[in-house]
Amino acid sequence: MNNNSFVARAKRFQLSNGIMLLVLENHANPTVSIAGSMRAGEYFSPADKESLAGVTAGMLSKGTLKRSKLEIAEEMESAGARVGLSSNTFTVSVSGQSLSRDLPLVFSTLAEELREPAFPADELEKMRQRIIANIKEEQEDTRVRAFDRMTQLVFPEGNPFRQPPAEKLIGQIETIGVDDLREFHRKFYGAATMILAVVGDVEPEQVRALIEEKLGDWQGAPAPVIDLAETPLQAGARREIVTMKDKPNADVVIGHASRLRRSNPDYLAARIANNALGQSTLSSRLGLKVRDEMGLTYGINSGFTESGIGDGPFVINVTVAPQNIDLAIEATTEIANDYIAGGIREDELKDEQSSMIGSFKLSLATNSGMAGQIAGTELFGLGVKYLDEYPSLVSAITKSEVDEAIRKYIHPEVATTVIAGTL
Amino acid sequence: MANTFTRITEYDGITEYKLDSNDLKLLLAPRRAAPVVAFMVLYRVGSRNEAVGHTGSTHLLEHMLFKGTPTYNKQNGTQIASVLQKQGGVFNADTWFDRTRYYEMLPSDKLELAFHIEADRMRNSFIADSDRQSEMTVVRNELERGENEPSNILHERLWAMAFREHPYHHPTIGWRSDVEGVPTARLKEFYDTFYHPNNATAILVGDFDEQAALELMSKYFGAIPPSPLPIPPMYTVEPPQEGEIRFTLRRAGQLGLINTGWHIPEARHPDTAALTVLDTLLSAGITSRLYQALVETQLAVDAGAQAMQFLDPGLFIVYITLRPGVPHADAERAAIEVIEKLKTEDAPEKELQKAKNMIVTQMIYLRDSPMGVTRTIAEAESVADWKMYVDLPKLVEQVTAEDIRRVVTTYFTEDNRTVGWFIPKQEEGGEVL
Repeated sequence: MNNNSFVARAKRFQLSNGIMLLVLENHANPTVSIAGSMRAGEYFSPADKESLAGVTAGMLSKGTLKRSKLEIAEEMESAGARVGLSSNTFTVSVSGQSLSRDLPLVFSTLAEELREPAFPADELEKMRQRIIANIKEEQEDTRVRAFDRMTQLVFPEGNPFRQPPAEKLIGQIETIGVDDLREFHRKFYGAATMILAVVGDVEPEQVRALIEEKLGDWQGAPAPVIDLAETPLQAGARREIVTMKDKPNADVVIGHASRLRRSNPDYLAARIANNALGQSTLSSRLGLKVRDEMGLTYGINSGFTESGIGDGPFVINVTVAPQNIDLAIEATTEIANDYIAGGIREDELKDEQSSMIGSFKLSLATNSGMAGQIAGTELFGLGVKYLDEYPSLVSAITKSEVDEAIRKYIHPEVATTVIAGTL
Repeated sequence: MANTFTRITEYDGITEYKLDSNDLKLLLAPRRAAPVVAFMVLYRVGSRNEAVGHTGSTHLLEHMLFKGTPTYNKQNGTQIASVLQKQGGVFNADTWFDRTRYYEMLPSDKLELAFHIEADRMRNSFIADSDRQSEMTVVRNELERGENEPSNILHERLWAMAFREHPYHHPTIGWRSDVEGVPTARLKEFYDTFYHPNNATAILVGDFDEQAALELMSKYFGAIPPSPLPIPPMYTVEPPQEGEIRFTLRRAGQLGLINTGWHIPEARHPDTAALTVLDTLLSAGITSRLYQALVETQLAVDAGAQAMQFLDPGLFIVYITLRPGVPHADAERAAIEVIEKLKTEDAPEKELQKAKNMIVTQMIYLRDSPMGVTRTIAEAESVADWKMYVDLPKLVEQVTAEDIRRVVTTYFTEDNRTVGWFIPKQEEGGEVL
């Protein structure tokens, strides 16, 4: 291990209540970035209130037992600092940024919001109305409509990757009350699963002492269990159309269950398998044909949209004028089938490996990028050493490993195609 | 040896050079924190330089510069995008009113590649007719994607209504039939008129050795001759707006929208700092005036403002997304009241200081990212001068409550205002107002 390695530079502390704190010093600028998570995401929302996790996370900044929303915002905004909590499928993520001198302010705000939320009823009403308006606005987006419908056809009822229909979600949000927020907070917010990565102009011991002071005696909920069955691959292909008005552009989403999680041993091989097919609109196989050569689209991509704690879908997305839909789907399918049959080329593999390693280096160029990467290694149990090993792990992957990942994870023959637009 | 640089000035850690052989301007900002570099070539040409029949040409030409040169092309397996993607680079190009810029962020040992590609495509791009045909439909799909969004159409229409004579009238993406119809020869003409080192600024930020970078710059850019003819100026001036303009857009949608724009001066104008503070005071964070007057009162689900300043006079725009069921007129009135109040009551010192802190800290955060620094220097350079990147935070600190009152009184008048309403048609025959 050299002195420049992440293992050497990142200090890792576990507080007695379970909080995992990782600190990395970078004194280039007088700023600090925070990233982290806690297991309190939508997976834990009850079936009849599917967005409760999101509403709860959003309400944490709407006032505490000590101060109003406006008093908190006044203090943070005056310092140009921010800290926020937002819900994902499985976790609530923490993110923040401030001048390094304001780090105590950021953590005292975060601790106050996490530990003593007031959940004022009038604020809940405003939040409900805003969320409902946002859902309605999203319903005008062809991409969202096609993607949501695809998940409804691919994932079973109760699976967190299945997006509820808008009308159902709106109906449920109207029933969320202050008591629901309190109960969700009590059951799922706790130190046990909290991860915090702090990167910037700081001293690790001082950060540790600060977190100890603000959150060291917080217990909250015990670690909740995530037990999600893998979604099997669909039995056959299907196609559906979502009709919308006044849309000059249509979105096509071709998706299926991926069966890929971050913990799969062939995760990196699967990433390469996808990247050569469709990671970049400008240089992957799909983009080179459907955009560059045929000129059918501004954007065509493929990807594992959420292969982390759970196995989200594998998706190909292409935007296209309504008259070109069939042509675009046909070309896309042909390219995917050809790729599956022939596998990745040796030169492609090399290019994708070098691309992943280069882009990984770039992701570590900012404090927020480093904080995100470090928090991610902790969340997935990889250890900070993973950041040092990543380039050699990627370089070691062979053509046969990628080809096997292609055959295992990419299945256009049983994909669900949803087209949303004015058709 | 003609390929030497003249050092023009050094300001806040950024050094400006001029390449003697062709007047290319170069800005170097070393930042050794991470082993990456961001490189950008900015051309002083944008949709501002277009006229009837070839709107959107600057942007279409930008797409054509990814289609290859004799050195970097698909046939050789060296397509620009593939070569940059192979390094894991973050790269793209974009076009706006006043400028077109091409950029890449790469691991710092790949700096030479960035120089080679950008120097090469400055003069050697194919601009082939067959490429234009397939790329035109790509751009048309980009345009169609934009037309899917009512907010985007309303915004474009606001500029088209507020500007009658000046080319900010038309959107950078262009009018659809111009995008479809523009001949390849016209794109080539644009390329040959504006893509020259003396009409460009190269910006390099990140982990590099200054002397080595200068030598490489000289190697790749030094041999390119300056333009044979002077770069043609754009001289159209928008006359004063004499009276309020109102318009309505109706199509399928869910939430009503209001865009209100007032003409404001060009970015070089001394009022820019005050308008920047005003923008923050009105729209940054939940303590801002528009948020408090519109979102907190549940008239709107979103409200914002932006001082859009360019080489020529631009617009200060207030954006409102209505809460369902709220009449447009009610939200518009509330926003106008916020503006009017600033004409008669000075903003409290504490509020001004908060806005200034938000602006200054944002500028400090930006320095964390080489690409963030590059983009911001480039924007300052394209609308005024790169030194504005350094000066604006200082000028912002000097803004007084009286400055705010003065700019609001001067520019935010009824006669100088354009108001657009998007009214969603939700079902046949029915409208939600």
